[in-house]
Amino acid sequence: MMPKNSDLSKEITYVDAIPEKASFLVPEEGSLKLLLASFGKLKDLEIEVSVKKNGTFQGAFADFSSFSGKVILNVRLLGEGASCDWHLASMASKEEKKSFLTSVIHEAPHTTARMSNYGIAREKSFLTFAGTSEILHGSRQSVTRQDAKIIVFDCTADGLASPILKISENDVDASHAAVVGRLNEEHLFYLESRGIGEEEAKRLIALGYLKPIENFFSDQSLVARIDSAIEGGI
Amino acid sequence: MATLTIQNLHVSVKGNEILRGVDLEVKEGETLALLGPNGHGKSTLLAAIMGNPAYAVTEGSVVFEGRDILSLTPDKRSLAGLFLAMQYPSEIPGLNSADFLKAAINAHRQKPLSLFEFYNALQKAYSDMGIPFEMSKRNLNEGFSGGEKKRNEMLQMKLLAPRIAILDEIDSGLDVDAMGIVAAAIRQEQKRGAGFLVVSHYARLYDLINPTQSAILINGRIVVKGGPEIIQRIDKEGYEWIKTELGIPVEKETDAPMNSVSIGACATKVRMDDAKK
Repeated sequence: MMPKNSDLSKEITYVDAIPEKASFLVPEEGSLKLLLASFGKLKDLEIEVSVKKNGTFQGAFADFSSFSGKVILNVRLLGEGASCDWHLASMASKEEKKSFLTSVIHEAPHTTARMSNYGIAREKSFLTFAGTSEILHGSRQSVTRQDAKIIVFDCTADGLASPILKISENDVDASHAAVVGRLNEEHLFYLESRGIGEEEAKRLIALGYLKPIENFFSDQSLVARIDSAIEGGI
Repeated sequence: MATLTIQNLHVSVKGNEILRGVDLEVKEGETLALLGPNGHGKSTLLAAIMGNPAYAVTEGSVVFEGRDILSLTPDKRSLAGLFLAMQYPSEIPGLNSADFLKAAINAHRQKPLSLFEFYNALQKAYSDMGIPFEMSKRNLNEGFSGGEKKRNEMLQMKLLAPRIAILDEIDSGLDVDAMGIVAAAIRQEQKRGAGFLVVSHYARLYDLINPTQSAILINGRIVVKGGPEIIQRIDKEGYEWIKTELGIPVEKETDAPMNSVSIGACATKVRMDDAKK
């Protein structure tokens, strides 16, 4: 495989100062890595990403902000072989109402997309993960996957996970997983049966939900900040 | 020497009484083979001993070292020296195996292990169990094959060094080599002086670990207790003789209730279950 031209590959990181409206174009054979981290106040966001032939978009959002509102991500896979890989780890607390609407449209054959949203709803918060994965007619051999998983930590918190698949092509691989639930009792029992106390067991399971987001960040001081936000929040 | 004594134990799962008065004793240094047809309560008994909240004890007692442990949470039972190797170990998304093992080991200690001690203990345990050390970086049981999960249970047993280990079909899904490794781990713990309560359907595992006693659980009660010779008899003849010789009718297998749906399944179903409550 030819190495990608470095002029065509971009990495953009926003910590807290995330623009409210942003749109990106990933050129043919190009790549974009978009890293977002929020620890303070946040406003409604709307991000558009268009990906041309054989371009790759990778996005990761570590959300520990205190805000109520909507984050919208719309990805268009315009050219053959374009791909999208999105990961979100979000923690909602207090009386926050956070919605993440992450959508992707496959407009060409052999396009792949993965939308992974993981979250924890605490206290009196409400967390929503929604979004549509759409495969247009003619986008054969495309692969799309939506994961929306929310752990409801306190009985006063709640969440909604409703990923939607809209498929107009037969020759595709499309799947989704949606879960809103309390910590799995069997998982808790498994950890507790090894001597781990209930609080620590809950913490370990919750960490497992959010910590994988750290893998996408290479700036170690930022990883440390994310780590302490996770540890401090749980 | 520590003894686990179960008396007149009644256990219900979702309102169905599965155990109807079980009496059983397991001593440190001894190995008890627990046999019985499917659906008669073996797994229920083991889960209840360890304190799985889905299994409600309605009557009877479980005493370990002179202390009734039924009021203890599962972690306290583990700290008291009990260990349950599960038939279907949970896959925990995102939880690194090494982090989990460190938390488990340190829970059993006054002073946490140093990183160096922990790393050495871990490496030895992985090598003893024939598991590549790389697996310690993977998420706990996530994507492990059936055999890998079972070996991983035995790895935890070795690291936690229980006084009495309870094994629920540890040999199911194991190939011949893995069976040898698992049996060797059990024998080593036997030498150390641990007691065992072992559920298996196959004489092959029992042949390798030499149980000192056996018991048969039918219709939610222990109907036969004896020596290891009973294992051979059941291996050859099945359970029919219990009906003909002892006049105990073997009730039909009852369907185990479905596990409630939670993380890892469909949201709609969770919602439906929630609505029913």
